[in-house]
Amino acid sequence: MADLRRPRPAAKQLGRRRDLSAPAGALVRLLLDRFADLAPTVWTDEDTVEVRIDGERNVEVLARLRDDPELNFFMLADAAAVDYGPTEHFEVVYHLYSDLHPAWLRVRARVDRADPHLPTITGLWEGASFHEREMYDMMGIVFDGSRDLRRIYMSPDYRSFPQRKDFLLPDDAADSPAAGVDPLERPETWDLSRFVEAATSSEAES
Amino acid sequence: MALDTKGPPPDTSPIVIPDLAGDDDFREFGMAEHPRGGFHGLLEVIPTRADLVLDLIRANSLWPLLSGLSCCAIEMMSSATSKNDIDRFGMFPFRASPRQADVLIVAGTLTTKMAGPLVRLWEQMPEPKWCVAMGTCTTSGGRFKRSYSVVQGVDRLMPVDVYVPGCPPRPEGLIYGMLRLRELVLQRRGEWPTYVDRGPQRSNWEGDVT
Amino acid sequence: MTSEVRIPDPLHPERTEEARLRAAAGLAPAPSTGGEYAGFESVGLPDRPPQTEREREVYTLDEGEMLVNIGPQHPSTHGVMRLVAKVRGEVVVDIDPVLGYLHRGIEKLCENATYTTVMTYVDPMDYLSSMHNEHAPAIAFEKLYGVKAPRRAEYIRALVVELNRVFSHGLMMGFQALDMGGLTPILYAFINRDEVVDLLASISGQRMLFNFFRVGGVNFDANDEFFSRLGTWRAGVLKTIEMNERILTDNEIFRGRTIGMGVLSGSEAMALGVTGPSLRASGVPFDVRKAHPYSIYSELEFEVITHTGGDVYARYLQRVAEIKQSIHLIDQIVDKMPHGPVQAQVPGIIRPKPGRAYAAVESPRGLYSVYAISDGGPNPYRFRMRDPSFVSLQAMPKLMPGRLIADTMAVMASFDPVMGGVDK
Repeated sequence: MADLRRPRPAAKQLGRRRDLSAPAGALVRLLLDRFADLAPTVWTDEDTVEVRIDGERNVEVLARLRDDPELNFFMLADAAAVDYGPTEHFEVVYHLYSDLHPAWLRVRARVDRADPHLPTITGLWEGASFHEREMYDMMGIVFDGSRDLRRIYMSPDYRSFPQRKDFLLPDDAADSPAAGVDPLERPETWDLSRFVEAATSSEAES
Repeated sequence: MALDTKGPPPDTSPIVIPDLAGDDDFREFGMAEHPRGGFHGLLEVIPTRADLVLDLIRANSLWPLLSGLSCCAIEMMSSATSKNDIDRFGMFPFRASPRQADVLIVAGTLTTKMAGPLVRLWEQMPEPKWCVAMGTCTTSGGRFKRSYSVVQGVDRLMPVDVYVPGCPPRPEGLIYGMLRLRELVLQRRGEWPTYVDRGPQRSNWEGDVT
Repeated sequence: MTSEVRIPDPLHPERTEEARLRAAAGLAPAPSTGGEYAGFESVGLPDRPPQTEREREVYTLDEGEMLVNIGPQHPSTHGVMRLVAKVRGEVVVDIDPVLGYLHRGIEKLCENATYTTVMTYVDPMDYLSSMHNEHAPAIAFEKLYGVKAPRRAEYIRALVVELNRVFSHGLMMGFQALDMGGLTPILYAFINRDEVVDLLASISGQRMLFNFFRVGGVNFDANDEFFSRLGTWRAGVLKTIEMNERILTDNEIFRGRTIGMGVLSGSEAMALGVTGPSLRASGVPFDVRKAHPYSIYSELEFEVITHTGGDVYARYLQRVAEIKQSIHLIDQIVDKMPHGPVQAQVPGIIRPKPGRAYAAVESPRGLYSVYAISDGGPNPYRFRMRDPSFVSLQAMPKLMPGRLIADTMAVMASFDPVMGGVDK
């Protein structure tokens, strides 16, 4: 059994560029045309086109992708968060579908791990609300402007963020770093000060 | 037409209890004399013996609570519908209210968030009551044993009488488990322990992840 | 509205009737029962002030309104789900779905499991469509590892997936009727379901959580005995379905309670992320099998079925039509089934090259997708599943205001949510 818990330098290895393949070529050309500043980040494989953006720009980019008649990405297929480890960053990944292009479009928005704030996209797709609540619950990413950002799966008094990579699952092996940890809560992952600040500041504004 | 609204005159004659054992025997049990004659509290004495009879009845009509948690609930429903038909053994009417149920079939993974409501359901069920842990999740946590939100075995919360293994058990497996429960009820006939005092059976298993 | 009517206001316990009576009797205030399930005592209010705008909106009561807790243990809910309904008399004013009573942390467990064992963890996700749950990870991992399943394996996959869809939609017909008070259809639906599940058990070895798909193929080949049983099943499958149709489709009570109930327009449904039969019942022809063909669906002949009503009845009709479509697809698949191996050569522990893969399938509830990231190790670095019924539940607060409490369950059953998938 391999050591499942050793932190791996994931973020450095990922994101190798591959050759552009034919089916998604039209979409790639269109993206390069519309988003010239994002050209270095466009990547594609056989059925997915990928573009990387900064977290702050998610609403602007997604709105243009949705409303441009030639792009027409009207459906938000998925919104998920990825944790690249305690020393790296978060990523919020949106998958979009358009009936004009035979490829999924993946938009990867980079979020700072020390200050995981991101504008909400519930203004574009109302259905993103549950996805954002899940990301908040599991990863602790705060979506500014969301009307309903509370825990969705865990109890309101639960304090850890279980999908983070520094939240280890318990293990039977004595030499594992996770041996003997509490299976339900990870106090070392509690760091709520910034959320308390965010909550108080939003209350002060309202 | 005048209606006879008076009805028959009220019966004022004293209640007569046949003198079987003598008044002194009744007084030994601490029963008071009824102002209209006879003794009351008579039924409070009988049940200690009647359980021998009542448990025969209970064993043949174990009514489960309609409470499914996840995957196993589908197999539990399957065991109640036409093909498997647990009704053959008098176990069909899945009661929606815990007040009317005898057996709690914990069917599916029990999470920490659901643990409180489930214990509440168990406490609302009247005695005597039995608990069947269906599937490996309720037995030990099963495939979710390492999870951060799963109760590792429902017997940490309530006493379990029958464990049905499988993930999920086939409906036949559940029926077999219920028949074993029936045997268990008949074995303990008349002297079932009160579950209120027994409480959970274990807090930790040997070799448990703590 | 008389002023004597005192509405319990859980947000302000000092205003409740009990507090008033206690104060009048000179008693001390009731002791606060704090803790995790304190809110469950009344109507499931959390033991804290409302945190978000939406929460404040739901849990603030006007004159004449009260909160009713539906679930988590409720015979009509599809599993352990809780709906907090704000009602005025019999009329629903607002609904707040409270999830997480079946949250098992499957994504986290998958990230700690090897690629092959992930298949066992995704099975209990959406436990009425386990085959679809396995299909999406299988496609994603094959993409990551760069291996293609043999053609016969792809055909067997499509076959079992469509069989799964038949019994899942069949059960939906039963649950829809059960949630509205009719017991008979569920009995027919379970006859059909048990037949299909036994059929699938004869090919996969497991009755409900099949664990049948592998990276690069399927676990077992379909042998002659399976096809013979499939033929027997195919001869009689429409019997139970049509029996249910005869009970429900033209039933006056059923029509009266479902037509015009919970109308969801196509644009609303897309904004909410509703997919699958519920979206197609609103007139949007989005089906992953056509929109983004996977497996062998580009080789099969079928049209995307849509209905225009967008109400509960249309969603029901959509399912009935899709059962027949799936049976039609099964016929085609069996006709075209090629010979050959069913498993590509892959090692026991797979270590794909670093990369990402996204794969979506059309599950009976809609777009079910998997996003997997590999970092070169034996287990996925990130494993994300998008469950359709989780997203579809967001339609409930949109559809219910102004309707009766009794119709809540009818509308919810029409989306056919499965809590294992919703809560993961």
